[in-house]
Amino acid sequence: MSKGRKKRILIAKPGLDGHDRGVKVVARALRNAGMEVIYAGLHQTPLQIVNAAIDEDVDAIGLSILSGAHNTIFPKIIALLKDRGASDILVFGGGTIPKKDLEKLKSLGIGEIFTTGTDTHAIIDYLDRTLER
Amino acid sequence: MSRLFDNSVIEEIDREKNRWHKQVYQPAEGVEKVFETLSGIPVEPLYTPADTAGMDYLNDLGFPGEEPYVRGVHPTMYRGRTWTLRQLAGFGPPEETNMRYKFLLKEGATGINGVFDYPTLRGFDSTDPFARADAGRGGVAIDTIEDMRILFDGISIDKISSSLVTCQPICNITVQSMYFANAQMRNVPLDKLTGTSQNDFLMETVITVAPEILPPKFSFKLSCDAIEYCTKHVPRWNPISFAGYNYREAGCSAAQEVAFVIANATACSEELIRRGLDVDSFAPRLSFFLSAHSDFFEEIAKYRAARRIWFRIMKERFGAKDPRSLRLRFHVQTAGVALTAQQPLNNISRAAYHALSAVLGGAQSVHIDGYDEALCTPTELSSLTALRTNQILQLETRVTHTIDPLGGSYFVETLTNKVEEETLRLLDEIDGMGGIVKAGETGWIHKEISNSAYEYQQAIESGKMPIVGVNCYQMEEKELPMELFEVPETLQIQEQKLKKIRNERNGAQVQDALDAVAQCCEKDGNLMEVIVEAVKTRATQGEISGALRSSYGTWEPPLF
Repeated sequence: MSKGRKKRILIAKPGLDGHDRGVKVVARALRNAGMEVIYAGLHQTPLQIVNAAIDEDVDAIGLSILSGAHNTIFPKIIALLKDRGASDILVFGGGTIPKKDLEKLKSLGIGEIFTTGTDTHAIIDYLDRTLER
Repeated sequence: MSRLFDNSVIEEIDREKNRWHKQVYQPAEGVEKVFETLSGIPVEPLYTPADTAGMDYLNDLGFPGEEPYVRGVHPTMYRGRTWTLRQLAGFGPPEETNMRYKFLLKEGATGINGVFDYPTLRGFDSTDPFARADAGRGGVAIDTIEDMRILFDGISIDKISSSLVTCQPICNITVQSMYFANAQMRNVPLDKLTGTSQNDFLMETVITVAPEILPPKFSFKLSCDAIEYCTKHVPRWNPISFAGYNYREAGCSAAQEVAFVIANATACSEELIRRGLDVDSFAPRLSFFLSAHSDFFEEIAKYRAARRIWFRIMKERFGAKDPRSLRLRFHVQTAGVALTAQQPLNNISRAAYHALSAVLGGAQSVHIDGYDEALCTPTELSSLTALRTNQILQLETRVTHTIDPLGGSYFVETLTNKVEEETLRLLDEIDGMGGIVKAGETGWIHKEISNSAYEYQQAIESGKMPIVGVNCYQMEEKELPMELFEVPETLQIQEQKLKKIRNERNGAQVQDALDAVAQCCEKDGNLMEVIVEAVKTRATQGEISGALRSSYGTWEPPLF
């Protein structure tokens, strides 16, 4: 990422689950921390999310999943990014995700997963650290 | 002038309280922390008769089972009948959930509380490309009436009351129709059925937003169609349960929770009266669903205030005469948002306090959350522990022995008045906007909730709101001393059943049924009348919802 540019983050909530309190709070916290946040809103299939990320030229995609469908959706997004030659976009996520699934998801290429109870500063610090490199 | 006390006594108490406050009450270091309720109402160090001296006991509190119902909706309250133990359950295919229902009933649950998976709530079949990843998640998958038959197989639906957590009207109109049609096919007359469906348009418009939702006014219409249908054909069914619980989970304060349910109930009442129904024909069956959050006394005050506000609106605004129309009856679920993923067994104590506030506030039925709900769908062990917590509260604590035990507490009465005051202010504001449907269309409610949710998170992060295990008393977690629930295979099972049904059913009949739905939309008829028949052809939930979406279009809600 070029220096001086504001970080651009696509925040999305894939699937049909409507528990969007967390994702909205995170979107607002990132915005208040000076990032440009694009909320994917209702465009929630993996393909729509990846297309939006590429169109919007974002540095990272943040995904919120509370339904338990993380083992299906995360890998799909990683695969679609790879197909489109956009693996440089960082993917991170959060939600109700059991510890035992974290390692597997990270080995697929998910940068970090923030589980229930995470302080929003931990997410901001992570993005500051990871996207500055 | 006080009607409760001698004025000179009140003046003396007030003088003495001021003296005590200045001379005796000495906060450490001379500087006082800010004390307030979870919703931000300031809390004094002490309340005295002076705080409630302006109340008129007979008009403001009264007696249980009598106007204004603040002290309870039934004359005997829990001395006569304790609250229903209604534990939420639903996951995977209906075959699996049917077994969980039977397990809970065997262990002493006294009603069914069924929750549906995300595709069902949104009106998609399990096999829809939109839905596949979510099949069986968050609830049970229902695609056709055959699934409804399996879900209630071997359960006496003529005796047990069923709460169907259908959330969105687009889900409710089909799923509730399947429940009714299944009853007819089991030869149980509709007037024998007891239960509740959620059917709240704000769930679709504001609270749990997802792709392809209906425009607010049509979602609201479907909700009113179901109420009208039940008023005419299923008289013992509560056709709506205004989902304040979910509003609260999304971020509302206590007063917002009450204001939004009451504004919603007011709008439904106006619409049904416009359709020609008498207020006393439907109002006795309007029911409410409220949260029990962490601020113990504020929650108790909230339930009491809600009863007084509803009573006055029904009586003064709508001229209701049947006492049953004037009583706000509610189910409570303990606050899921207050549970923590950290040190999950602590949630057992949290939920027990939450449930105690519900009972001290006069709830008609109570669900206690499982301790693992911040991590997964509750396991059998966590469901059972929650049920047992409810039973301990009911049988061991003796809180059931006297009615409204906190009535007359200077603090609780004052707080009840404060929550009422703030709720009435919000109700005025919503009225000024043209009602709850407008307030949803413009995004005003979305914004209110989003702001409250953000403030709540800020309060946790600044440490202003301590959460044990999250921002204080954290521990490095070792292995959790508990198993996590795995959703059983759902998609394949649903796919096979759907395939078989599509082969067997009469395609022309299904098409006629779907055409009838579309025509009914066009001529603005009551859709439930048509859909109860449509589901009998084994049209799928996705097909019927699809017909509704084609007729009404979809809506992009404002996002904040």
